[in-house]
This record gives sequence, C-alpha cells and structure tokens, in this order.
Amino acid sequence: MISELFSMTVLVGILASGIRLATPYLYAAIGETFGQRSGVLNLGIEGQMLLGAFAAFYVALTTGNLWLGVLAAMVVGALMGLAMSFVTINLQAEQGISGIGFYLFGLGLSDLLFQKMLGTVETVKGFPKLQIPFLSDIPVVGEIFFRQNVLVYFAFALVPLAWFILNKTTLGLKIRSVGENPEAADSLGVSVARIRYFTIILGGTLSGIAGASLSIALLNVFQQNMTSGLGFIAVALVYFGAWRPWGVLGGALLFSLVNSLQLWVQVLGIPIPSDIAVMMPYILTIFVLVITVSRVRPPSALTKVFEREG
Amino acid sequence: MKKFRFIVSVLLLLSVLLAACQGQGAAPAGEEPGQEVMEETGPFRVAVVMPSAINDLAFSQSMYDALVMIQVEMGGEDGMQFDYSDGMFVVDDAAAAIRDYASQGYDLVIAHGSQYGSSLQEIAPDFPETSFAWGTTAETFGIANIFAYEAASHQGGYVNGVIAASLSNSGILGVVGPIEVGDAKLYVDGFVAGAVATKPEIQVNVNYIGSFSDVALAAEAANTHVAAGADGLTGTAQMVVGAIGVAEESGGMWFGTQASQTELAPANVVANQVYRWDVVLNEIIDLIHGGTLGGQSFVIDLANGGEVIEFNEDYDLPADVKALAEATIAGIIDGSIDTGIGAPVEEMGEMAPEFEGGFRVAVVMPSAINDLAFSQSMYDALVMIQVEMGGEDGMQFDYSDGMFVVDDAAAAIRDYASQGYDLVIAHGSQYGSSLQEIAPDFPETSFAWGTTAETFGIANIFAYEAASHQGGYVNGVIAASLSNSGILGVVGPIEVGDAKLYVDGFVAGAVATKPEIQVNVNYIGSFSDVALAAEAANTHVAAGADGLTGTAQMVVGAIGVAEESGGMWFGTQASQTGLAPANVVANQVYHWEVVLKEIVQMIADGEFGGISFVIDLANGGEVMDFNPDYPLPADVLELAEATVKGIIDGSIKIDLGN
Repeated sequence: MISELFSMTVLVGILASGIRLATPYLYAAIGETFGQRSGVLNLGIEGQMLLGAFAAFYVALTTGNLWLGVLAAMVVGALMGLAMSFVTINLQAEQGISGIGFYLFGLGLSDLLFQKMLGTVETVKGFPKLQIPFLSDIPVVGEIFFRQNVLVYFAFALVPLAWFILNKTTLGLKIRSVGENPEAADSLGVSVARIRYFTIILGGTLSGIAGASLSIALLNVFQQNMTSGLGFIAVALVYFGAWRPWGVLGGALLFSLVNSLQLWVQVLGIPIPSDIAVMMPYILTIFVLVITVSRVRPPSALTKVFEREG
Repeated sequence: MKKFRFIVSVLLLLSVLLAACQGQGAAPAGEEPGQEVMEETGPFRVAVVMPSAINDLAFSQSMYDALVMIQVEMGGEDGMQFDYSDGMFVVDDAAAAIRDYASQGYDLVIAHGSQYGSSLQEIAPDFPETSFAWGTTAETFGIANIFAYEAASHQGGYVNGVIAASLSNSGILGVVGPIEVGDAKLYVDGFVAGAVATKPEIQVNVNYIGSFSDVALAAEAANTHVAAGADGLTGTAQMVVGAIGVAEESGGMWFGTQASQTELAPANVVANQVYRWDVVLNEIIDLIHGGTLGGQSFVIDLANGGEVIEFNEDYDLPADVKALAEATIAGIIDGSIDTGIGAPVEEMGEMAPEFEGGFRVAVVMPSAINDLAFSQSMYDALVMIQVEMGGEDGMQFDYSDGMFVVDDAAAAIRDYASQGYDLVIAHGSQYGSSLQEIAPDFPETSFAWGTTAETFGIANIFAYEAASHQGGYVNGVIAASLSNSGILGVVGPIEVGDAKLYVDGFVAGAVATKPEIQVNVNYIGSFSDVALAAEAANTHVAAGADGLTGTAQMVVGAIGVAEESGGMWFGTQASQTGLAPANVVANQVYHWEVVLKEIVQMIADGEFGGISFVIDLANGGEVMDFNPDYPLPADVLELAEATVKGIIDGSIKIDLGN
C-alpha cells in the first residue's frame, strides 16, 4: 500500500492537487504579506475572500463574463480594504479585533446576499483549464503545472512580482520602512498612512481574487462560508513564510502538498485513522513555525498604531 | 416685510389649491345619506404584492391582467389607480411592502400569494380603515378587513384533461407541477380526473419538481415526459414556461392554466384555463364602496366566469372534441358533471393537531438552509409540516442557520427557548452538550436534537437520527453495478455519526454487489471546506474512480468534480440532482417531517421529550430519489428497487463490518 504512494499516478496526483489547493492561499497570503510588511495585521481576509467569491460568482452567473466576475471580486475586496484602512489608520482601532469584525461582516453579508440573490447552490461555468502550448505536452511536468486554469498561473506569477516590488523598488523600500520604523520613515517624508492604505487595499483586492479563484475557477459554486478558515491559514502562512513572498510560496505549497498527500493516503487505504491524516498539514505547519519563527523577526511595527508626534 | 408678503401669498395659493382638491374629491362620492361614506379624495387606489413577475404568464400575471381590466372598467387612472410590487418571493420583503402600502392609505391592498397569510394577519389589524385581500385561500382569520379569494382550478384542469385524453395518440400525458399543495395540486388532480374520465386506459404521468421558479428543472421534467412517450403536456405555476418550450420542440400539445400561454407556442397550445380575478375584485370593490372592508371569501370558477376556458384559435381542434369540451364546461357549471375533486382546504388540518395561537418552532442549524444537504433536509421538512398544519396560521417557524460556531448556537437555542417557542430544534450533533445544559432551565419547552439517539434521560428532549446506511447501501449497490473501472470514491467530513453510517452503508452495498470492487474512502476533516472536498474528489478520479459519493454540505465541491470528469455522483441528505443533472444517478433524500409529525403529536398530547426517533426507508423518512434524466439501465433500476424492498422487509441485512 505504502509503495503505491510512489507510483507515477499518485505523485502526479499529489503535485497537481497541491498546486490547485495552493492557489487561493497564494493570493490571500501575498496580499497579507504586503499589509504586514507595512505594519498592519489584517485578520479580515477570510471575510474579504467570501465577499469576493460571492461577487465573482454572482457577476459571472448573471453576465456570463468571468473576467467581469474577477473585476467585481477585486472591487469588493478593495472596498473592504478601504474600510479596514479607515478603521485601523484613521480611527486607530486595534488591528486584530477590527480584522475579526471585518471577517464576521464578510461572512454575514456574503451569506445574506447568497440567500437573497441566489437562494440555492448553483453552478457556473468557470475558467476552463488552459493548456499551455508545448509545455502542457511535457510528460508528468506538463500535467502537473501546465494544465491548470488561468487564475492558478496568475497566483504563481504573483510571487516573483511581489518579491520584486518589495525588494527592488522604491515603493517596496517605503513599505518595508513603514513596517519597521514608521517614525523614521515619516521623518524622511514617507506618508505612513498613504503607504498603509495602499497595502491594505492591495491585500483586499488580492483576497477578493482569492475568493474568485474558488468560486469561478476551481469549484464553480458558491456556498455559505465556503472559504472555511482558508483566510486564517493564509495569515499563518505569512508568518510561516517569514514575511517573504518566496517563503509564503514555500509554506503554501508545503501545506497544500501535505494536504493532498493525506487525501491519497486515505484513498490508498494506508491504515492511518482519518482524524490523524487530516491533522497532518496542521501539525507540520506548527512544527515548521516553531523552527522558523525563532529565527526570523516580524516587522517591528506590526500591529502598532502609528501616531505622528507633535 | 417683503418676506412676510411672500409667505402669505404662498399660503393663500396653497389653501386655494387644497380647497379645489377637496371639491374634486367630494364630487364622485355620491353615496346615499346615512351610509358610512368612504373618504375618497380621488380615484380608488389599489396596491398589490405578488411573488413573481407581472408577465409570468401564470399566477402573478393573472392578477395583473385583472387589475388592468378593472382599471379600464372604472374609467382609467382617474377612476382607479394601482401600484404593484412583483417578484416578492421573499415573504419578509413582501410583508414590508404590504405594511408600507397600507400606511400610504391605499383603499385595497392585495397580498397575492398564500405565503403572505401570517404577515397579513399581523398587519391588517393595525390599519382598520384599509381593506386587505389575499389568496389563494378561503381563510379571512375572522378579521373584519381581510377578504380571501381562491380558484376552483380543478374545474378547468378537468376540461383540459378531457381534451388532452381525447387528442392523445400515444395514450400518455405528462404533468409538470411545482409542489403538491393548494392551487397547483387542485389543478393537477382535476386534469388527471378529466383525462381518466374520458379514457380510462390513459396514462397520466405527474411530476412535482419542488420549485415554483426552477425553469430549467421544469423543462427537464417535460423532456422526461416526452421521452416516456407523452404527446400532451400541461403544468401550473410560473416555472412552466420552460416546459412549454419542450412541448413546442417535440411537436406535442400544451394545456395552459392561470393565464393564456398561447403566445409562447402558438402551434402547440390547445387550450388555457384563464383566471379572471376581476370577477372577484369587482365584488370586493363594490363591498368596500358599501363600507364592508373584509370578512368574506370568494371563489372563481367556471360558473361565475372567474375561470374561462380559452381555446387557441390557431390550433386545429377537431369539432367533436371541441363540442365535448364545451359540453364538459356546461356540465360542470350545471352540476351534472362531478369532477370528484373537493377543495383540499383543511383536509390536513384535521390530521394535524391544533394549537391555540399556532404551533411555534425554532430551529438552529450548522449550515445554510439551502446547503443541498443536512440543513436543507430539515428546512424542507419544516416547510412541508407547515403546509400540512394549515400554513403559517397553524405553524410558524423561525431558524438560525450557518451556526457552525457552537457557542453562538447555544445562545440562539437559549434565546428561542426564552421566547416561548413550543419546540426548539438543535439540528446538529455538535449541539448536544449545550442542549443538555439549557433544556432543564425551560421545562415547559420541548427540545429536539439530532442526529443521535441520546436524550440524556431529560424529560423535555427528543432525539432523532437517520438510518443513513440504508440509502447508502442502495447507492452502493447501484454504483457497483454501474462502475466500469471497478473503483468508487467517497468524500466524507469526519468519521462519526450520520456521515460514517452513510459511508459504511455505501461500502457494504457496493461490496455485496461486486465483492472485487474497490471503494476508496476519504474523510477530509471538515464539514465546510468545499475546496478540500473538491480536491479529495479529484484524488479519487485520479485513482481511477468513475463513481463518487459523499455526505455533508461541503460535497457541493466534489459534485462539480464528478461532473467535470464525466463520472457518476450519488447524493444523500437532500436531492443534489440540480447541481449536475447529467451525473447524479440517485439521491437518498431525508424526510424529517416523518419524525417531526410524531413529535408535534406528542407535544399536543403533553409529552415533551424523552423519546428518540429514527427515519429509515421503511417509515418513509428516507426516500430513494432517482434522477429521471440519468439513463439508468432497467436491470439496475430493478435491482435498486428490489434492494429498497429487501431492506424494508428485512430480507437484506446490512453488514456494516463493525
């Protein structure tokens, strides 16, 4: 039984599943990385994802245009981000608590809209699998990496892009300085509030796409609370990835691959109780967190309200 | 000083205007002296709230057309004005609209839908000067300013049935209905009676699709009828527009009701029973003018002209059939023809116990009421019980869904109990320990929870559970019979309770049918993680499974995968056919109303708990629902039906292997 785990079908299956599962985490966690690097912890991304998922689904269902659906998810996510920015920056509310508030708001509103506007679980024709010419024909690798839908490719393309922005651009430097030492950044003429507004709205936009990737690309249904804690795991993945896009990618892939591994473990009938199997990704995540977190330091100003002196 | 003069002149102008208006209003109010004079300041004003669109070619349109007709009769907008809110399928929204119209001083506010009854019952007493009407029903609640109206829809149904049976060559007719209650049931029963009275050997296949709005499903039901050989179709409620298209495509006949549907398929519609609510409305308006604001109920039928059989002039109806139809109409009017159908009013009321002020139920559920699974199965049961207990007057229910956080659920349960509900249902085994704490504090309230057999020995707790392995076994038998790859996949939430029982039953059924079959089982550790459920299904497909099943609300993700891969899906808890009509083979559907009825009866008898119930195939609490569109081979269907029978009579013992 265990030897079957190493057959080609199973390995390809695990990797292909892992990549699909990682997609929503990547959007949400990369967005959260920007926010946290600028010093803001947003625990509301689950709510942003739910509203994004609903907006994308509803718009795609009624207009038949999937890109319009993605756009709607981005707009809704951005608006949620805008509200979060106002509450945490202008009103200086405690970030953790207000994030939870936004999560509950998104959960409730997406459910209300679902009940009133759809009334039942429906399906939509989502983004089809896009076969990248030539690459998708490569044995094994093609099947794993190049026969996915377009939002999966975008999610992975986001990682180097985010790395580039954070580390190689002036904007990235401003974001990092605001997250490490807002007073110093401020004294050098960087607007802390403006940078934080930008990163939180960007995070909201990406969370919206994360929701859309579920509702109109991977699953093509909308259901109440369909994200099921995914947004919170995304927050954990930012810590896991030590606030670096490549680290986040590693965390998302590891978590997703272990999750798909445990699915196969059960399918192959390997005698591990299912309760233990489903714990595997979480146990592993905690384990890696314990090792990494002791070595890396979060942005110094994370969760701290910035107030100009004088 | 200038300002003062300006104000004075404005006031003067206003008073002149007001005087003019009043003079106008007084003119048409020519009532006899001594009678209570309606204070009219203009045209007669009517507002109506309707559940579907005014151009639905069915229920709502029939009322809209009547209002337009009345308006013409009353001399246009000067004589009568009307406003409407259509598409009010959400009762709460409708209630708000009704109250709003009433407070705006309309003379008559019509709530056109039997679902609006209890809202009206609350609102009407607050506006004693306003007249209300609602239907279809005979119930005025004994309130002085409520009229009620209904249609003897079986009469036109009977005539349609007579014509359909006379014209059918195949000897098979098909009916597409929404839900087996009220106006729809009456029409369908009338149609069947008319057809059978004309040709006793005729076969009338009836299909209730469970929805007033699912056009796609109505079309599919019609397709099924055509595939089964029907050459004449009928149907009632607004979703039948989908079925009419099918009749047209197949070249069959269509018989309409409620409104004229001829324009949708001019070559196929033979006749329509058209409702003429203006007959009732005219009487109501006369009564209002005479000072009577309610308290009476009306019926439209063929005799009073409120129902009219409209033949499609473009349809080449043989003269003898038309003569027969007209004779039938005359016979129904003069009473020489008895349709054999009585109005079903209060028929159920006698069976269900009555509670003073109505029976009040509250339910707390872990997921959405439309999850196509666990919570929906309970919600559907409550709706059904409500209908059986005579609508919102006989039974009211409230719910909190999406209560996946147990602490929130506990708060809701306590809150409902303290509000004096007769029965509080905690629909989820995770709520057990909360209930155990709360129930003893409210000894006058009855509680029920499931799925479990545990009442904790507390006198006011009922328990209920499903023998889900039975339907699981049947699904397993079918899946194993149909599988080509010899591999099946199961997606479960957590390996306990109802889910484990279903899964074990499925495995047992599959293995009993084909001992060499491989059933891969996957518990994903969550009831809500749709994405992981989808991935688990992907894993099964990658491992070679061509038939999938799963239980709990997160499986909606897995069903999509079954559809994409072209595999089979077997549902449980609620019917999941709508999500993948080409892939769902069969569903085990829970009918909790079987248990709820017993609980209600016991509460009526003064027993508040202490007993546990099980739904299964034998008591009708579990029903195998085969997807009519799935090309299930006859031998497999026979095997499935034999399995159901065997489980019921005990000749098949399910070995769960543990």
